[in-house]
Amino acid sequence: MTAPLLSIRTLTASYGAVPAVTGVSLDIQPGEIVTVIGANGAGKSTLLNAAMGALPAGGAVWFDGADVSALGVEARVRRGLCLVPEKRELFATMSVRDNLELGGWCVDAARRRSGLEDVFQRFPRLSERQAQMAGTLSGGERQMLAMGRALMARPRVLMLDEPSLGLAPRIVGEVFAIIAELRKSGVSILLVEQNARAALRSADHAHVMELGAFTMSGPAADLARDKRVAEIYLGLGG
Amino acid sequence: MDSTILLFLLQDGVTNGAVYALLGFALVLVFTVTRVIFIPQGEFVAFGGLTYAALRAGKIPSTVPLLMILAGVALLAGLWARRRTWSNAAAAKDVALTLAMPVLVWLITRALGSASRPAAVDVLLTIAIVAPMGPYLYRFAFEPLAEASVLTLFIAAVAVHLGMTAMGLAFFGAEGLRAPPLIDGGITVGPLLVTGQSIAVYVTVLVLIIALWLLFGYTLPGKALRATAINRAGANLVGISTAMAGRVAYGLAAIIGAISGILIVPTTTLYYDSGFLVGMKGFVAAIVGGLASYPLTGLAAIAIGTAEAFSAFHASAYKEVIVFALVMPVLLLRSLGAGQSHDEEE
Repeated sequence: MTAPLLSIRTLTASYGAVPAVTGVSLDIQPGEIVTVIGANGAGKSTLLNAAMGALPAGGAVWFDGADVSALGVEARVRRGLCLVPEKRELFATMSVRDNLELGGWCVDAARRRSGLEDVFQRFPRLSERQAQMAGTLSGGERQMLAMGRALMARPRVLMLDEPSLGLAPRIVGEVFAIIAELRKSGVSILLVEQNARAALRSADHAHVMELGAFTMSGPAADLARDKRVAEIYLGLGG
Repeated sequence: MDSTILLFLLQDGVTNGAVYALLGFALVLVFTVTRVIFIPQGEFVAFGGLTYAALRAGKIPSTVPLLMILAGVALLAGLWARRRTWSNAAAAKDVALTLAMPVLVWLITRALGSASRPAAVDVLLTIAIVAPMGPYLYRFAFEPLAEASVLTLFIAAVAVHLGMTAMGLAFFGAEGLRAPPLIDGGITVGPLLVTGQSIAVYVTVLVLIIALWLLFGYTLPGKALRATAINRAGANLVGISTAMAGRVAYGLAAIIGAISGILIVPTTTLYYDSGFLVGMKGFVAAIVGGLASYPLTGLAAIAIGTAEAFSAFHASAYKEVIVFALVMPVLLLRSLGAGQSHDEEE
């Protein structure tokens, strides 16, 4: 087994006095998809934001063999850790193309140009709409733009927070197809989802999060067959 | 009132309005990028004008030692922020980067002494002296508060304004300064004499507006500033440093303030505290523009300049009162409109 690309060690985060994440550890190997499933408010988004450095956190975050716990968000982006947040956080009154180019803020001009070609190939819709304001896109297109913008920074680990939230079923299928393709191109993915069925189907490894801690961990296929997971998260119970 | 007076007042109003427009733009820029209602903008105007006038008179402006002090305070704030992740190399870089500019302008002003030189040299030197004050102020007064509420930031801005005015009195004294016109003479258009000074104002303002438009519309750093203004969290996630964006915004605001001061000081005697009223007129324009729209701010500034010129002619004692009273109907209209638009956003 190779060294993990991203390693989160006993991470804690809280909002004021209210603990949101209480000592979570997880590893992602290169080229792996790891998913964290759980109910609303379990602390999944907080976990991603803390790993990104956007929230103050305890514990440690290691990336590519280096402790990045003391680094800010920008420094983590530069090293190749990117987050597509649940709210997408697009630049609504700027064009699709400007959004993407700003996604490549941390890379040089040549890589920005080739990155733009790559994103347009992956998301032909964005190419068609590159002059349109990001705020006027449909929900699915906004998610694609958010993913495209993150890919412009050439991440080695991409963290996706609820990429299927609020999307039509057909678009959800598209998003998961893109996630599978991204893995093929060598990007490791940390996927946080409420759509547990789709997440478990595409992931290698899975964790179940409840009240700020992992209650179950294992290969995604095993968790998908687990009776308790099926009852609570896959809606198959009696 | 005959047509000559009318034209004269209009010209006067547009000339003043153009300068208010620049200040309004600086306020919109600073507010959208850092959420600070930047009251001390006027100090950049006063310091810019006083610096330019002193340089033209062949003296070393008091802003040179003032810049040194601000750099020192900014450096201390920077080193304090590093205390948890201290490294000697990074600290040395901070020292070098922060102190380079004040030392450089000090050496240049000393070398120039009272030798006569073209006005353009003094213009550039003035900008070089005042521009770094923006990032320094941001570094020690606003960057540590970056996540605070708009109200807290506003209170900090008022504190910085009071501090800067006091520094102005300490360094420049209570006496005012005035500079010779940027361009002597003028041209006659019909009944109207357009002075070289007003032409300098129009050309400068136009060039600055075009430069800002190119910067924000067509360059990646400019777009990064806009992106920070639109969505700070999003900008952070693509790796744009919001602290760096703040420093750049303050640097631009200081440059705009310095240029405004240079444009004003040949037409009126500037004192250490003259900046406040001038800045407030830019502020009224920016408020009309909703602290967001550059074109609206520009139009409002021209209207304010014109209203000021006419009220100065008809009721000069009430000039400022009339101009600032104009903001009331605007605020009323805006507050009526705001009730509807709030629901649309999330």
